[in-house]
Amino acid sequence: MNELVVVSAGLSVPSSTRLLGDRLAAATAAHTGAEVRVIELRDLAVEIAHHLTSGFPGPALADALDAVTGAAGLIVVTPVFSASYSGLFKSFFDVLGAWDKDALAGTPVLIAATGGTARHSLVLDHALRPLFAYLRAVVAPTGVYAASEDWGAEGLPERVERAAGELAALTAGLSGRVPAARPEAGGFTVVPFAEQLAALRD
Amino acid sequence: MQFGIFSVGDVTPDPTTGRTPTERERVKAMVAIALKAEEVGLDVFATGEHHNPPFVPSSPTTLLGYIAARTERLVLSTSTTLITTNDPVKIAEDFAMLQQLADGRVDLMTGRGNTGPVYPWFGKDIRQGINLAIENYALLHRLWREDVVDWEGKFRTPLQGFTSTPRPLDGVPPFVWHGSIRSPEIAEQAAYYGDGFFHNNIFWPADHTKRMIELYRNRWAHYGHGAPEQAIVGLGGQVFMRKNSQDAVREFRPYFDNAPVYGHGPSLEDFTAQTPLTVGSPQQVIDKTLSFREYAGDYQRQLFLMDHAGLPLKTVLEQLDLLGEQVVPVLREEFAKNRPANVPDAPTHASLLAARAKGDEKKSDEKAEVSTV
Repeated sequence: MNELVVVSAGLSVPSSTRLLGDRLAAATAAHTGAEVRVIELRDLAVEIAHHLTSGFPGPALADALDAVTGAAGLIVVTPVFSASYSGLFKSFFDVLGAWDKDALAGTPVLIAATGGTARHSLVLDHALRPLFAYLRAVVAPTGVYAASEDWGAEGLPERVERAAGELAALTAGLSGRVPAARPEAGGFTVVPFAEQLAALRD
Repeated sequence: MQFGIFSVGDVTPDPTTGRTPTERERVKAMVAIALKAEEVGLDVFATGEHHNPPFVPSSPTTLLGYIAARTERLVLSTSTTLITTNDPVKIAEDFAMLQQLADGRVDLMTGRGNTGPVYPWFGKDIRQGINLAIENYALLHRLWREDVVDWEGKFRTPLQGFTSTPRPLDGVPPFVWHGSIRSPEIAEQAAYYGDGFFHNNIFWPADHTKRMIELYRNRWAHYGHGAPEQAIVGLGGQVFMRKNSQDAVREFRPYFDNAPVYGHGPSLEDFTAQTPLTVGSPQQVIDKTLSFREYAGDYQRQLFLMDHAGLPLKTVLEQLDLLGEQVVPVLREEFAKNRPANVPDAPTHASLLAARAKGDEKKSDEKAEVSTV
């Protein structure tokens, strides 16, 4: 449960999106000592598309959804396509929401994006932040955007370090979350029927 | 154990010819398929309920009443009856009427439906889906068990001194299965009432089905209806068969690839590996169906989806011949092996009537004992 999970929507190999995800993960893990798992959406692209038509995940996608749902902290990185996150990135979180609408509720998330120029850096706050707010994640105040030029300029390591520090603090602060006690069966949380019925009679 | 078929009632072009049946042809085909089910020795025919094209069965009790008149043994059921958007009073009346006409060969499966706009079309709020299912069924349950009902709820006008007619045949309400694919609340509801739970697993991996059934069985025991293994479980299945499995795959592939539900998605091979769909020889169908028991436990009802995706009637009738002649007899034999004696069969009108008579006897014995003391 104390895994730090990176979701990278980079498409090329090697990809600067993945590179940014790795940097952020290493910086965060330096604080928390959490194990890091990286999920490359490229490898799941076909299963994600199939989920959209069939309504259920294939084995590799199910495994990734489980990992993200159980993550103590999440680092999400997307390239900017057409002024927003990539379609693959969004589809993964669409599928996650359909799988379990509470999958990210209360999960600390660090948002990050890459692009050719700095002109799209507000994509973090105009696109990614609302998406994760909708999923009821706790989004770290600092998002990290890396344009191509940033890889040869000053400032990126500091932003990575600041964001990682925030994610580490959120992860530590929220790790004591205790789910409400309910009878459990078959891995589901059950609201006793009498309670369901009573709620309608109020 | 009961074996049968369930139909969605879709009007879909045959992808190999491009021809779309008329609604009349499709309605009549559903009847022909039901009659065939009885002829080949199946136990159950269930129809879906839909209120939008390309589906024809909007009026299940009309269809089932017609089939009832032309069959003798077949149990008539639904897959599903919309407990959310139908008036529970009308469900109580329609199915009691059908039950009277069909001499008790009737049960039904309640469901919430999966077509969003049906809620507003019938004046309901989709956000209340679960609550509608809970309240409407609570009323339906009373209407069949109490001769005069006073009732007030959130979603329907109140009832004062209402009697739903006709009363259930012999005072025994039709057995109810609660169908749900993903909602633990519905498994909980089925368990609470001691009703059946049907998991339409046909588009789902085994692991998910297993968890839903486990939930239902455990909660059934929690509510004191018996041991978990005595709960009443139904499962879906989906098959296409030919004597040689290669022929089955070749013939079914265009229907699979263009099917309204999963077409243009995963490959036939992936889908058969991950879901209950079997495309192959009768023996492969037997093996796959028997494997359901490994994760669902000993269960009571197995329904197969046979007529969809534009398969021509002639093909569907051939499939039913194979199902009835080569598959189901073997399944009956195999499922009966090692089946614990305490696992009940699916309730029928006769078994419910007998159980009630036994209960009455026990009660009057108790009374007699009390009076002699």
